[in-house]
Amino acid sequence: MWSKIWKNRVEFYPYASIYLFWFLGSFVSSLRVQNRPGIVALGLITIPSILLITIATIKTYRKLPGELRHSGVCDADDVG
Amino acid sequence: MSHAYNVSASVDFDRKFSIIAFGLLIAVIIFSTYLHHFQPHILNVPSNTNVASWKMTPIEHTWIYDRMNAAELEKVKTQGIPGTDFFTMLVYLGLSLFGTYLCFSHAKKHYSYRMAALFLIGSFIFTGLQETLMILSGRFWMGGGQIDPNVWGSYWFPQGLLWFFETPVWVCLCWFIIAYSCVWVAKQVFPALPLWSRALIGGLTAMVIDLWEDPVLTSPEHMKWIWAKGDHIGILGIPHGNFLGWFFLIFWFVILWEKYLPLCEKRRGAGKGTLAFVGLILISNIIVLAILIIEGHIMIRVFPQGLHIPPLSWDW
Repeated sequence: MWSKIWKNRVEFYPYASIYLFWFLGSFVSSLRVQNRPGIVALGLITIPSILLITIATIKTYRKLPGELRHSGVCDADDVG
Repeated sequence: MSHAYNVSASVDFDRKFSIIAFGLLIAVIIFSTYLHHFQPHILNVPSNTNVASWKMTPIEHTWIYDRMNAAELEKVKTQGIPGTDFFTMLVYLGLSLFGTYLCFSHAKKHYSYRMAALFLIGSFIFTGLQETLMILSGRFWMGGGQIDPNVWGSYWFPQGLLWFFETPVWVCLCWFIIAYSCVWVAKQVFPALPLWSRALIGGLTAMVIDLWEDPVLTSPEHMKWIWAKGDHIGILGIPHGNFLGWFFLIFWFVILWEKYLPLCEKRRGAGKGTLAFVGLILISNIIVLAILIIEGHIMIRVFPQGLHIPPLSWDW
């Protein structure tokens, strides 16, 4: 799985960058906020967006060519 | 996975376009950076170290003031805005450049070099100019008391190493990253939807992310941007116009890039089509500003006493 992702890593760049943006800009930064109780829990509000990004990531992964194709052996899809 | 609306242009044109477009952008960034750091009096840039010197928007007139306790206020008054040291600002720039590299590489693979470059440059100019228009209109025009300061007082970014007019370069690059990623996500999840629907979902995806990010990054610990009081409607302690802006900028830019750029190039050729695309961006900046001002005036009439979600008594 990881080698498949690594070989096609460019496909995941937009997801990586938006996850990174969310993780550093919101999650990690929220841990530093002192005088506002609930600021970390407020992150739950972003669930719809994170869900969409995760679905897109999974769909992209599923669309990737199979491992066998890289070794020169045809998939069943390739026939005909 | 190339797309039918790829812009076909010669390598020679791509090279000329890159030299001119990126050259102009770099020239504006150098000039703006010089103006911001070395001639701050020209654009009345608020001081990062001496908060007491804020004349146009005293700290008592900012949204952050209501969120600070006495110790935090004293700290800002004595030590200035946090995160304005060279190293921290270099980290913001570095991270945003890294994200830009990732999205640009992806766009280049799936569209073309020039479509990727036009997304980067177009979103950079569109959002950077829009932020600058809002910052300066607030600073000199509305917050400056020339017309109704209740639409929005003003806001500004205190932390930036390089600047595009009055918007830090790292902010412009983050706009590119967010816009490109969210619209790509919408395209993957809902591939059958027409462009307008995908742009809508992309804009909403970005706006929902900002519902958490803005309250966090405008807290006293971060102060990535500072809001002057003005907007009557607050959502999670942030002026509502901010969230409208997030949605609208991404929604509209994607329409311009995916629908009107290929249309302009088809009708006018590569060179003139690109110029027409930039012209559309500039016109859109003015229209977005006008829409936000009109919407602000309408909301003042609809909610003359103001509206805060959640209520102010919740300390948000």
